[in-house]
Amino acid sequence: MSSQTSRRTGLDVRIDDVDVRFGAPDGGVTALADCSLDVPAGSLTVIIGPNGCGKSTLLRLVAGLIAPSSGRVAVDGREPRPGDGRVGLAFQQPRLVPWRSTLDNVGLPLELAGVPAVERRAQATDALERVGLVAAARLRPRELSGGMAQRAALARALIGDPAVLLLDEPFSALDALTRETFDAELQRLWVDRPRTLILVTHSVSEAISLADRVVVMTPRPGRVARIVDVDLPRPRPPELLGNPHAVDLAGQVREALATAHAVELRPWAEQEGAA
Amino acid sequence: MRRIGAGLASLAVFLALWKLATVVGRYPDYILPAPEVVGERAWRAVDSGVLWEHTAVTLLEVVLGFAAGATTAIVTGIALGKSVLIERVLSPYIVAAQAIPILALAPLLDIWFGGGLLARVVICALIVFFPIAIATMVGIRSVDPLLAEMLRSLGASGPQQTRLLEIPSALPVLFGGLRVGVTLAVIGAVVAEWAGASAGLGVLINIANQGLFDTPLMFVALATLAIIGLAFYGLVVIVERRFVSP
Repeated sequence: MSSQTSRRTGLDVRIDDVDVRFGAPDGGVTALADCSLDVPAGSLTVIIGPNGCGKSTLLRLVAGLIAPSSGRVAVDGREPRPGDGRVGLAFQQPRLVPWRSTLDNVGLPLELAGVPAVERRAQATDALERVGLVAAARLRPRELSGGMAQRAALARALIGDPAVLLLDEPFSALDALTRETFDAELQRLWVDRPRTLILVTHSVSEAISLADRVVVMTPRPGRVARIVDVDLPRPRPPELLGNPHAVDLAGQVREALATAHAVELRPWAEQEGAA
Repeated sequence: MRRIGAGLASLAVFLALWKLATVVGRYPDYILPAPEVVGERAWRAVDSGVLWEHTAVTLLEVVLGFAAGATTAIVTGIALGKSVLIERVLSPYIVAAQAIPILALAPLLDIWFGGGLLARVVICALIVFFPIAIATMVGIRSVDPLLAEMLRSLGASGPQQTRLLEIPSALPVLFGGLRVGVTLAVIGAVVAEWAGASAGLGVLINIANQGLFDTPLMFVALATLAIIGLAFYGLVVIVERRFVSP
């Protein structure tokens, strides 16, 4: 932990006793309930949990896209606001604007902020370089492969160098091999320029190979079930996952997921435990 | 080149069928004149300057009416598309205005707007308005919600959403509306002239039909209207190709 907190790059993110309800008060859905999570500045946190547990809702809160129904969300002590330049968000789908070139898609956040075209192009080219996609700068989204489109989306999230980077299952649509490459590149990007990074995933092995801390969530309404600290050295090559300690950590994450899930399948289990 | 060839070939077939009908049916000129009779009449109308005199008036009405109608329709369509409240309040009136036949409304509008060019432009704009406003509204609503959320996450303001996402998303549907609207503009101009005008192709049709019993001249006026419609339609398609990538 100390090695992460001493690396004061990025901003800390604090989620404090947050409820998120959608729809009518009586017939609505509670996505998050009493959810609290502290993400130290500069840490790489991976959030894992079953479908519909509110993982994406959590990221939307930190991005300022939605406000909590109750409780508080703070990035560096202040409420996040879209466009304030502190947070970069990449969605599960690339969400590129189809009639814009890759370069203009990546430069979009700066365009909205009123940055002049020359400066914008320079920074967009730089961001494309970091994700290895400069060659595709002039292509349209429909000419990109799925992997290239996700790289472009990542470059768009990286532009302007936000202190907090949020990734919502960005590699889930890619095949397993491509995904391993992406995980390795993402780790390199983060080691090169550390910042607060929160990644949402379904994959336990992805979580173990990337995270400082793995946050396991309960099914809906989501809250934090357990936090597993991953104290494996970096960089972590794929073969490190075979290391007995890594296997043990993965086991802990799986067990936490199973326990959290069991409560949902057998709602009385919680009461039995209490009795 | 091939497209022009196909166009000329179909025109030749059309003229041949027309000629065939007049030969087989032996119709008198005041019912169905042969193509060469209409051609000769057109030549005389051009030569005397009569055709251009009337065409210029109609052209002006079509251009002004379409411009005014399309502009208000696009602005209204954006508002309708962006606000459910505005749609609820305005759409009954817009639909009702569209449901009343323009032929019945034209004489009234002619009185209201002083019977001059302004009145004719208003009538023309009114008929153009509906398809373009509806197309714009539908287009604005066709925005991909995932892209809209992406823009919101980047802090895009309402006007930025409209400029960068909603209008570009609406363009393919909007141009569909403009194609319909531009042909209606020609109809609107003729209806407006019938409600009260001293010149224009609509007036020329009336003169040829009721005053002179000059059916070939009526055909000339009708053909000119068709050509105007085709030309403006083609213009819209050309502009569309520039703005909408296939």
